[in-house]
Amino acid sequence: MRLHRIRLRDFRGVHDREVALAEHGVTVLQGDNEVGKTSTLAALDLLFDAADSSRRAEIRAAQPAGVDAGPEVEAEVSTGPYRFTYRKRWLRRPRTELHVTAPAPEQLTGADAHARVSAILDETMDRVLWRGLRVEQHSGVGQADLGGQDALTRALDRAASGHEAARPDPTVDDGLVERAVEELRRYRTPSGRATGELRAAEVRLADAEAEHDRCRAALEATERDVAARDRLDADLGTVRARRRAQGDEVAELEDRWAGLQSRLREVEAAGDQAVLARERADAARDRRAARDALIAAVAADADAASRAAAARDAHDAEHTTAREDRDRRRADDTDARAEATRARHAADAADRAVSAARDRAELLDLAERLRRVGDAASGLAAAERAQAAATVGADDLAEVEDLARDLLRAEAARDAAAARVELTVPADGDGLTLDVDGETVTLAAGETRTLPVAAVRAVSLPGVLAVRVRPGLDDAGRDDAVREATRALAGACEDLGVADLEAARAACRAAEDAARRAGEHRAALARELAGHADTAALRTAHDAVRDRLEGVEATTDDVAALRTAAGTAREEAGTAARRADEADAACRAAEDAVRESETRSAVLTERAADARHAHARRAEELAAARVDEPDAALADAESTRRDRAREAEREHETLAAALAGDDPDTVEVLVTNARAVAERLTGEVARLEREHAETTGRLQAAGAQGWHDQLAAAATELEAAGRAHETVAARAAAARRLHETLARHRERVRRSYVAPFRAQVERLARIVFGPTLSLEIDEDLRITHRTLDGTTVAFGALSSGAQEQLGLCARLACAALVDPADGVPVVIDDALGHTDPERLARLGAVFTAATAAQGAAQVVVLTCTPERYHGIGAATVVPLTPSRRPGADSADDRDDHAGDRDEPARPIDPAPATAPGTVVDLPRAPRAG
Amino acid sequence: MRFVHTADWQLGMTRRILGARPPKEAAGGLTGEAQARFAQARLDAVAELGRLADERDAAFVLVCGDVFESNLVGPDVVARACEALGSFRTPVLLLPGNHDPADAACVLRRPDFARRCPAHVTVLDAPGVHEVAPGVEVVAAPWRSKHPLTDLVGEQLAALDPAPPGTLRVLAGHGELDVLDPDDDEPARIRRDGVLAALADGRVHYVALGDRHSTWTDAVDDRIRHAGTPEVTDFDEVDPGNVLVVDLDRHGAQVAVEPVGRWRFLRHDARLDADGDLDALDARLAAVPDKERTAIRLALVGTLSLRQRGRLDDLLAAHAHAFAAVEILEQHSDLATVPDDADLDDLDLHGFAADAAAELFAAATSDDAEARDALRLLHRLVGSR
Repeated sequence: MRLHRIRLRDFRGVHDREVALAEHGVTVLQGDNEVGKTSTLAALDLLFDAADSSRRAEIRAAQPAGVDAGPEVEAEVSTGPYRFTYRKRWLRRPRTELHVTAPAPEQLTGADAHARVSAILDETMDRVLWRGLRVEQHSGVGQADLGGQDALTRALDRAASGHEAARPDPTVDDGLVERAVEELRRYRTPSGRATGELRAAEVRLADAEAEHDRCRAALEATERDVAARDRLDADLGTVRARRRAQGDEVAELEDRWAGLQSRLREVEAAGDQAVLARERADAARDRRAARDALIAAVAADADAASRAAAARDAHDAEHTTAREDRDRRRADDTDARAEATRARHAADAADRAVSAARDRAELLDLAERLRRVGDAASGLAAAERAQAAATVGADDLAEVEDLARDLLRAEAARDAAAARVELTVPADGDGLTLDVDGETVTLAAGETRTLPVAAVRAVSLPGVLAVRVRPGLDDAGRDDAVREATRALAGACEDLGVADLEAARAACRAAEDAARRAGEHRAALARELAGHADTAALRTAHDAVRDRLEGVEATTDDVAALRTAAGTAREEAGTAARRADEADAACRAAEDAVRESETRSAVLTERAADARHAHARRAEELAAARVDEPDAALADAESTRRDRAREAEREHETLAAALAGDDPDTVEVLVTNARAVAERLTGEVARLEREHAETTGRLQAAGAQGWHDQLAAAATELEAAGRAHETVAARAAAARRLHETLARHRERVRRSYVAPFRAQVERLARIVFGPTLSLEIDEDLRITHRTLDGTTVAFGALSSGAQEQLGLCARLACAALVDPADGVPVVIDDALGHTDPERLARLGAVFTAATAAQGAAQVVVLTCTPERYHGIGAATVVPLTPSRRPGADSADDRDDHAGDRDEPARPIDPAPATAPGTVVDLPRAPRAG
Repeated sequence: MRFVHTADWQLGMTRRILGARPPKEAAGGLTGEAQARFAQARLDAVAELGRLADERDAAFVLVCGDVFESNLVGPDVVARACEALGSFRTPVLLLPGNHDPADAACVLRRPDFARRCPAHVTVLDAPGVHEVAPGVEVVAAPWRSKHPLTDLVGEQLAALDPAPPGTLRVLAGHGELDVLDPDDDEPARIRRDGVLAALADGRVHYVALGDRHSTWTDAVDDRIRHAGTPEVTDFDEVDPGNVLVVDLDRHGAQVAVEPVGRWRFLRHDARLDADGDLDALDARLAAVPDKERTAIRLALVGTLSLRQRGRLDDLLAAHAHAFAAVEILEQHSDLATVPDDADLDDLDLHGFAADAAAELFAAATSDDAEARDALRLLHRLVGSR
């Protein structure tokens, strides 16, 4: 397909513009943004795709704002053998017009025109390739999806086969592989699992098999039950017969067993008889032995009685001797006891004499102590009186002494401070007598006397001279202190009732003395009262002793002598008492010996009597027994019984041996066993009957189930399911086989396409990247790797610029490869934004190289940056400028000429005057003309 | 004395060829539509022979074994059988055969049968002589297990004395005569010599047999007969669908063969090599009457192209809708499908698709069924373009 001319009217921002394109090579449409470059492209798509009645969003967007006119597009196109002009208007007064000029003129309007154009394009143009070779604005120049392009495939096919083959049917493989895949997907998922019809068939088959197995198992179980019932019937008959036979055998054995048992009882009776006879024989023997024993006992008793009498007689002599000894000892004892009593009385009298003498001495002592107590009590009373009279205590005296010392200190102070008057008689003079303060003082020659002047002193030579010395004021004060002290001392003495210090001292000493004496008397009093509470007690003691002595005859008071006498008497009394005790003991021993002897005598007497009695009784017994049964009779009975017992025992042994010969144990075992067998058979019959009943029950239940019908249905279903599955599986296998075969062949062909495509792409790309470039391209005709200077890089890892350049090369290669009749324009809308200026220059060469060939594809480049495409040598450059609606006045014009646009017969110029590369911006008005 | 001799009703029988219940039909019972009609046809045949017996004033109907297809048929089969038996008046004698032996599971003794069984029906499950009418005795030789170890008929005959004067005796047995199936290993075969001897010395006057589904008469003595099934059961049956109306006296039997069955099981052998053969087959199938009661089994031999095979499939599918069943008997068929050049040219493919088609074509020619199917699929996909 080739575009000759595109005209837009009222399309987005374009008022009316016609662009003519170069028929071959590159046409660059350059213009500023929003000048309508992309609109031109979009308009072309709408022209081909959208019916004039369409109100698609793109169409409504294409209507210019505020204008009452529908967007209109007109294009002149040649494709295949056709050349036509095609015009459409949407929204407002929609219209479609087609004017075909070649190969045969044809005029169509409306839906017919649209259908015709679609048919022509479908017939002559690869519309998928048309989209694939386009680079939209804002979308990077990636790889075009070229794998499925028919036109390219044909071109590559031609290139691969290396000759110009007859032109193949364009619809050869159109979607065939896809339909094969679809067919396969009906049966299998992409992962190969069964699905849809195949899965359903498999499920049906599996279900049918399960159902068939179930029914067959049930049927076979029922058949087994039938067989089991037959077997059970037979078994029951057999076992019942055996049980009857066994019953007969048991009866026969039990009869035998009963006969043997009666004989067994006879043997036991004979045995009892023998035992009885033996017992009787033993009894006779025992009686005889008892008689013998009795006789021996009588003899022994006689012997014992005689020995006891002898013993008694021997003891009687001993007994008499003992009694005599005892009587003698009793007399001795009485004597000794009288002597002891007398001696004790003598000792007591001596003791009493000693005691009286001691009491008298004590009485004397107590009387003396009473007297001393009276003295001490009177002394104490006197001392206490003196003590009470004393006024000056030690404390009072100390106070007076302090006051006296104060007086002395005052006087000394006064005297030291006082003025002194020295009176001196010249050594060579005469003694002189002076009167000093009324006293006469005589001074010898050379003597000096000093007089302190504490108070007014008067010295006078009587008659001659009277001197009065007065102390100053200070001296007078000191003298007052002395007087004060003197007064205090005097006051104190007066209080104490003494004259002065000395008197006080004396009074104090007198008081102390009285106290000391009182202490001494108290001590004496305490000493004398020792042991008694007070004087009265002492006196009571004294009186008691005196009372004791009242009436006692006073002998000698020599206590020591008395004591000695008392000791001797006591000793004698002790000796006499000891002798009495010894005699008593001897007497008592003799008494005991007598009593013991008496006891023994009694015992011996009794024994002798017992022995005698026993002998008598035994002898009587023997006599009585012999009267009943003489000894000879006993011996006869013993031998008779013994013989009889032996006979019975022999009889028993004979019978038992006969019975043992018939083996009753075996018969018993047989009976027991036969009974057990009968019992087991009965159990067996019961078990069989139970099984029989169970089987019968199961069979009845199975009859109602209709297992035959179910199995028949299941078998039919199984066969049908198997057939269905086989059919579906065969179809699925066929689908897989077909897909696999087609895919394999397609891949093989694609691989053969890769080589010519790669050669073409590499030819163009080497212009950009240099001669060392090589590319890897897969079966889908995608560039996978680029190798440059020996370095291989995956396409996705290349820079945006390189990707863009390679993508462009691939498209241009494609455009260069396809048959001119199949070719479509390559449209590039403002690409190569990532390409540097140097590569841009080289790309220009690529454009030229790709479009140089005769009949090469049309290339349309839209750009707002014309510099990018300056490098394209053979480009036709079409500058676009805004196509604006004329001023407001044009609205009037349009009203006037509205009818023109509606006019259906408005001719489309079949041979446009415009030359390629020109733009005609037609004002509205000329169109009217 | 007149009676109706029949056998092998095989009630409850299904035939796989008649198809399964459609799988999606949940509550459709156990069988499909053709199966149900076939089952009904067997009951109709019973009712028909009963009506015949009533009309001919027969003394009894003697069924010589295999009344039921199995002892384990369902209660529905039993109930419908009893209904059919109840639709006529003539007394009926039912003999247990090899399909319904008088064993522990015997359907003729089952409670559901006993409860519904009409009064005029007698089950001959006890061997020996049964007096069914004054002067008429039936000697029953019932099967008591599926695998008897003796000739049951011979056993009964050996125990018989000659019939008293004035008494007619009919032996009722089930099984093949040794002349029909000389299988030495089968102990239950009926010895023909013994049967002939018994007829000759007057122990019995007619030997009514079952088990063979085709009507058959002994060549030596026409009183030895198989009645055959009253309604066809299989393709290999020679003359099924009849009952025998027997007029018996001491000297001989007058037997009328009366058809009662309405179904047919046909087998057709055809050679298919050209389109003309297909046309002939089509016409042959189209000419079959009563298709809804006919099952047809085809044995096809020959070589067809892909297109012809497709035509054959279409043709058979179209007829299958009308027939009760259409089946190709694989073991007797030898039908090769070999694609020819025309098949390949029809595709009109180019490029890799043509290569793929050529490869499949080559494989299909060397009898690769999968490749042939793939090629047919390719035809379809190209055609749907």
